[in-house]
Amino acid sequence: MQVKIGIFLCDCGGSLRNIDFPKIRGNLEKLEGVAFVDISHNLCLEEGGKALASRILSEDINRVVIAACSPELCEHNFMRLLESLRLNPNFLSIANIREQCSWAHKEDVTGKALELLRMAINKARLLQPLERKEVPVNQEVLVVGGGFSGMESTLELSQLGLRATLVEKGSALGGKLSELEGFYGLGASPKEMLGSMTRAIEEGKNIEVLTSAEVTRVEGEVGNFTVRIRRGGEEFPRSFGAIIFATGYRAGILPRDFELRPSVNIISQRNLIEILQAPEKLERKPETIGFILDVSDESSRLATLLVLNNALAVKEKWGSEAYVFCRNLKVDSDGAEKLYREARATGIAFLKFEKKPQISEEDGRVKVEAKDVLLGEEISLSCDILVVEEKGLPPEGTEALSSILNIGLDSQGFYQNENVYLYPVDSGRKGIFLVGACRGDLDISRASMDVASAVMGVCELLASGKAIVEAEKVRVDPDKCRACLTCIRVCPHGAIRLVRVNTEKEVAQIYDLACEGCGICAAICPAKAIDFEGYTDEQILAEVEAIGE
Amino acid sequence: MGGNNKIVAFCCENSACAAADRAGKIRLYYPDNVRVIRVPCAGRVDVLHILKAFEKGADGVLVMGCQEEACRHLTGNTRARERVKYAEILLKESGIDGERVRMVNLAPEMAHKFAQEVSEMTERLKGLGPTPIKNGGPQR
Ligand SMILES: Cc1cc2nc3c(=O)[nH]c(=O)nc-3n(C[C@H](O)[C@H](O)[C@H](O)COP(=O)(O)OP(=O)(O)OC[C@H]3O[C@@H](n4cnc5c(N)ncnc54)[C@H](O)[C@@H]3O)c2cc1C
Ligand code: SF4
Ligand code: SF4
Repeated sequence: MQVKIGIFLCDCGGSLRNIDFPKIRGNLEKLEGVAFVDISHNLCLEEGGKALASRILSEDINRVVIAACSPELCEHNFMRLLESLRLNPNFLSIANIREQCSWAHKEDVTGKALELLRMAINKARLLQPLERKEVPVNQEVLVVGGGFSGMESTLELSQLGLRATLVEKGSALGGKLSELEGFYGLGASPKEMLGSMTRAIEEGKNIEVLTSAEVTRVEGEVGNFTVRIRRGGEEFPRSFGAIIFATGYRAGILPRDFELRPSVNIISQRNLIEILQAPEKLERKPETIGFILDVSDESSRLATLLVLNNALAVKEKWGSEAYVFCRNLKVDSDGAEKLYREARATGIAFLKFEKKPQISEEDGRVKVEAKDVLLGEEISLSCDILVVEEKGLPPEGTEALSSILNIGLDSQGFYQNENVYLYPVDSGRKGIFLVGACRGDLDISRASMDVASAVMGVCELLASGKAIVEAEKVRVDPDKCRACLTCIRVCPHGAIRLVRVNTEKEVAQIYDLACEGCGICAAICPAKAIDFEGYTDEQILAEVEAIGE
Repeated sequence: MGGNNKIVAFCCENSACAAADRAGKIRLYYPDNVRVIRVPCAGRVDVLHILKAFEKGADGVLVMGCQEEACRHLTGNTRARERVKYAEILLKESGIDGERVRMVNLAPEMAHKFAQEVSEMTERLKGLGPTPIKNGGPQR
């Protein structure tokens, strides 16, 4: 098919005054394959669009070059317009003469604008059509981890009519909910919450629960994952369209934080909660209780909440004196500020240290020595019980799972790198989401927000049962591929797999729906077997070519 | 325009392109010798593209991608950095100053950094003069 290019120059309502549009037109009209050069004042408005459409049809062109504002703003609309004219949307090339040319320079930039246009024209000549294709997606969703986050995800999915399978490692659902006594800021107690959620899951439609089960392998891509699940002695494969991981966390005391090991008098938050639940374990009521926070670092949002919550509980149940040692109290979580005020009002004392307090045991009591920086005084407190901070740590098996999934961990070992582009619940692999405590969001209100985002993400992908992809935008040429596996290793989105084409040969194949179109594979393939339509080597170099002209 | 300071900037559409757009939007007025080539990710840029840019008359090349540890495609920016390093070595071998190519990390908001990098490269190129390829080659 012979290339016939139509060029539209938009002067943005006549505001791009440092570009001489007629001069550019005169220059471009002479180029080979250029059918016409139009100057418009408002391509983005309805009338501009109409004029553009009628010119495309009447001149029967097959490549459209537009010089206008940033493609960030206009590309999508122009593509849809071409589509409506039955012209392949990939036959569009845009020169950004506004943000990156007219607006960016004071002087006359006709020369630069002309060069940007030549770059776009050079590229347009090489563009190939891309077909949009429908691919079916499996609408079943796997949820891994049956704590609050996993249960909530399952319930929300089922309400939206998607089938969910909940896989829990333990013998019952609940995760941390089943271990907790009280909650701050929430109406229901954890037990009540667990009770009503469990009932809802039992009654819910489209829900399957597998307890004492684990995921051992994940293969395939979004819309079509094959997951191996181990339960009891057997292992079986199942297919899902998307996966939500809600594997939670494990609470622990970091040994480097305290020289003294936990003992009868030095206990964890969880021990305290157990005692609060079963006070008969106590020989006598503790009169003075100390709490300590922020010893190794200050990332203790949940720990702060627990301290406030538990200090109030001991005050209420036993009438004990409570002292909280902390660096900077973090009250930015839901309801924390209120809790703090309540704690102060009931007479709980807060002591602010900068240097790590000294802790020692004497006569069955615990002595805490610290310098309070507000009072400027050395303080020595002898307490019956010292409750030390537990840190949220990733659950066992996180590393193993992350390598099964081929997704990264952050500096603390939780899922999800600190990458803004993944925020909040993406994993880097399309169709795999991470919610709740397993990505370090340790409290329920944050976990709920994660769940809502992930469920929305799942719906976007699976709700209609099919997805539209640009077929083979990034494509491996099976004749050139030598199956060196480099691309499979480097693809950051896990979108490439090896397939057998005949008895002798295996080649890499890109799964359109999982591919996010970065082109890393195209740049790295040693056999130059991968082409990325729109950004092929030839197309990029054609743009470069125009620079010296 | 013209002169010996033509810059080709391969810009990631998730970060650097947005930074460049923004620089225009807030009228930062940087030198007009830069030509942005939009790429889906800095990781798409190959050593070949960088070398060809010099062959075709560029005096300097910028590869601009997302911030370290915050790449839209996770590893694209680190791969780009490796390739820029490699291109630098190859350029030096053919007698072209390694200073003429540079990897830049920026976030979509960093319009000032975009403008500053272009200005700095322009100054650098003025100091370095024409590339050996250009000496005697076709010029406009
Ligand atoms: C002492 C204490 C007090 C707390 N108090 C409050 C409070 O007052 N307010 C508040 O908002 N939050 C509080 N929290 C935090 C709250 O309990 C958690 O945020 C919430 O329960 C986290 O839910 P989750 O589902 O993300 O994780 P979890 O509850 O940890 O659930 C994870 C589940 O996944 C399962 N699992 C793990 N790995 C796998 C695997 N590989 N395969 C299958 N299953 C797996 C686990 O067995 C577990 O059932 C408290 C926590 C503690 C420890
Ligand atoms: S890198 Fe290239 S040659 Fe190697 S497997 Fe991938 S497509 Fe084939
Ligand atoms: S373009 Fe990027 S996401 Fe797509 S297959 Fe290649 S490396 Fe993977």
